[in-house]
Amino acid sequence: MFQTVEEVQQRFRDAKYIATRRISTVVYLASRMGRPVLIEGPAGVGKTELAKTLSEISSRPLIRMQCYEGLDEAKALYEWKYAKQLLYTQLLRDRIGELVANAPSLPDAVDKIAGQDDAFFSFRFLAPRPLLSAILAEDPTVLLVDEIDKAEPEFEAFLLEVLSDFQVSVPELGTIRARHIPWVVLTSNNARELSDGLKRRCLHLFIDFPAPAEELAIIRLKVPEIPDKLAEAVVAAVGKIRSLDLRKPPSVSESLDWARSLVILNAKQLDAALVESTLTMLVKYEKDLERVKGALDKVLADLPQA
Amino acid sequence: MDERILEFIGDLRRAEVRISPSEALDALGATAEIGLEDRETFKAALASTLVKEARDQATFDRIFNLYFLDLEALGEGLKKALGPEDPKMQELLDQLANEQDLDLDEMTELLMRGQGSEMEMAIRSGSQNAGLERLMYFLQVGYFSRRIQDQFDWAAMERDLEKILQMLEAKGLDPGQLARIRNYLELRLEAFRRMIRQHVERELERRAWRQGEKLTREVLADKPLFALSPDEVAQMKTVVARLARKIKDALALRQRQEEKGRIDARRTIRKSLQYGGIPMEVMLRRRHREKPRLITICDVSDSVRNASRFMLQLVWSLQECFSRVQSYVFVSEIAEVTQAFSSLPVERAIEWALKGAPVDFHCRSDFGYAFNRFVRTELERLDRRTTVMILGDARNNYNDPQAWALRMIRERVKGIIWLNPEGQWGWGIGDSVMPLYSPHCNFVRECRTIAQLGEAVDSLVHQWWRRGR
Repeated sequence: MFQTVEEVQQRFRDAKYIATRRISTVVYLASRMGRPVLIEGPAGVGKTELAKTLSEISSRPLIRMQCYEGLDEAKALYEWKYAKQLLYTQLLRDRIGELVANAPSLPDAVDKIAGQDDAFFSFRFLAPRPLLSAILAEDPTVLLVDEIDKAEPEFEAFLLEVLSDFQVSVPELGTIRARHIPWVVLTSNNARELSDGLKRRCLHLFIDFPAPAEELAIIRLKVPEIPDKLAEAVVAAVGKIRSLDLRKPPSVSESLDWARSLVILNAKQLDAALVESTLTMLVKYEKDLERVKGALDKVLADLPQA
Repeated sequence: MDERILEFIGDLRRAEVRISPSEALDALGATAEIGLEDRETFKAALASTLVKEARDQATFDRIFNLYFLDLEALGEGLKKALGPEDPKMQELLDQLANEQDLDLDEMTELLMRGQGSEMEMAIRSGSQNAGLERLMYFLQVGYFSRRIQDQFDWAAMERDLEKILQMLEAKGLDPGQLARIRNYLELRLEAFRRMIRQHVERELERRAWRQGEKLTREVLADKPLFALSPDEVAQMKTVVARLARKIKDALALRQRQEEKGRIDARRTIRKSLQYGGIPMEVMLRRRHREKPRLITICDVSDSVRNASRFMLQLVWSLQECFSRVQSYVFVSEIAEVTQAFSSLPVERAIEWALKGAPVDFHCRSDFGYAFNRFVRTELERLDRRTTVMILGDARNNYNDPQAWALRMIRERVKGIIWLNPEGQWGWGIGDSVMPLYSPHCNFVRECRTIAQLGEAVDSLVHQWWRRGR
């Protein structure tokens, strides 16, 4: 548990994650108020990373649930291990036969088998999926629900229900209540509008591309070998490329990749040939690539030089 | 403070940021956790609990700045006036303030400790007593500032300051230090006065903004579309965008799966393998819901151009609700403009369709001719899944209405919807041939204002297409 917002910020920093004031405030509030955090923002700005870092600094295990179209309750909550149940009944056929051997009538036999229900519908045969594992966990966890916008609205409604009382009922076993309320982080890329209910339930955090100073700090932190001037040039160039109206503007993860590749290439400063040959690290669409190449002069104009 | 936050939430709501009571409670809870010390943190706490859509962020920022004074900026100004800050001086003052026998006025203590947020609270409660809610005009700013100032005992504060200086003198500070301390305290006093005035000014600004915002919203939504000025057209674009989103949101919540339907043999057998070949779970074939094809035909003559503009914007922002959208525009010659929408952003495409489209819009509207041409060239492309949406005032300039063309279209398609930007009272009067056309339409609506346009499209998306399924 965190005591102050500053502590959150510092601990994230120690774990090599630059958290803005806004991010740390939301994390602090979430830990205090026991609310899920919904993070929205363009791809690659560190939404998932935030959850991972949170689990790292709080030393709570991370349970990750990746959403996709067609994800349903069974895959998110639990499934019975049918095959195993079947196998066990096959193996135990003799014992079952013994059990019902001296039953005088059919109803008696059924009763006897019904008495053994628990043997087959127990935790032994239950395969917990991410949601149930978060609820069953002995220790507090961080539950990451990644890309919730990819799942269907119905699943979202179901998730909302789980997130509001942290208990699920398995008909054969009864209601299971969470021992610890996990810290929940949901991320969304805004592929579709999320429902109001879910948004209402969550603390909302919008992470955008970082300001140049922050991005510089991130690059220095994650790629410590990079020369100072080169890092500044990278940030400035990426900023300019972002303003070019691309289909997918480069985000933090891409600028980090780029910085790393520049370090590997032993670059001291950015020049046209170098940028052109490494541009694919930054820009992922053919059309965008052409556009950036066309505007290369503008991108490279008055960058900080070594 | 809570009241202030609730008031703030009220204004956000008026600016169409949707905030539920539970979110308001969250905001109060969050700010209680955070406290008021740091403005950025405070803002982040409010934002994370109240703003759930990226598009509301700008509204939030604007209103937040109207509500909560930027104390840090004020403090910065003060520091500059003081020159390099002397931590020793503050320490000395703190010591003094903590001394027991020093009987100081509350405000003096606040001043000395320099807690911005507490000072703001004091101003706020002062302004309540001074009846600041009656503030209406700019000329009243001075008056109310004075009234709030009168809530505080300035004489007592001055006296306290004298007392402090005397005590310091007694402690044996040299005159130079003493003069600087006097200077510091006086500046603080001055800053406090400035804060009061700024508070009143903000209040006025907030009120003016609230009024203005309300006016634009109410008036624009119900203003006849032909009467919009270019400025209003620009504002309206955001209104239409919001409308489109609303319709889409509601649609996204629709349940997709259904409990009944035909058995899907393939999936049932696959599933039965888990149970040793016994079909325990019956899988149903997902009912495929057809998205409708939409063809819009817009009159783009001067009189109804605005209505066409917004209808096009609305329909194209709802593209994903349709399997295919095609748009035609006409005055008397008719032309397809779909291409523009697929290659340009919606906004620009509309401008292109309205201005540079391959139709001569200096001639007079001729619905009959346009429908005739449409039937001749496009009839083959119509089918049962298609809905035709026509926007026009049906003022045919006494040309041949050729209603038969509309009937031929009707026979081919799922339905014709006619949106008329003219008031219903005018239909059939003068050169209006609406009564000849409407029998061939499934659905005729008046849409003089953006509100009506929204309702029409909404009922379309939700009811009209639902019926046919």
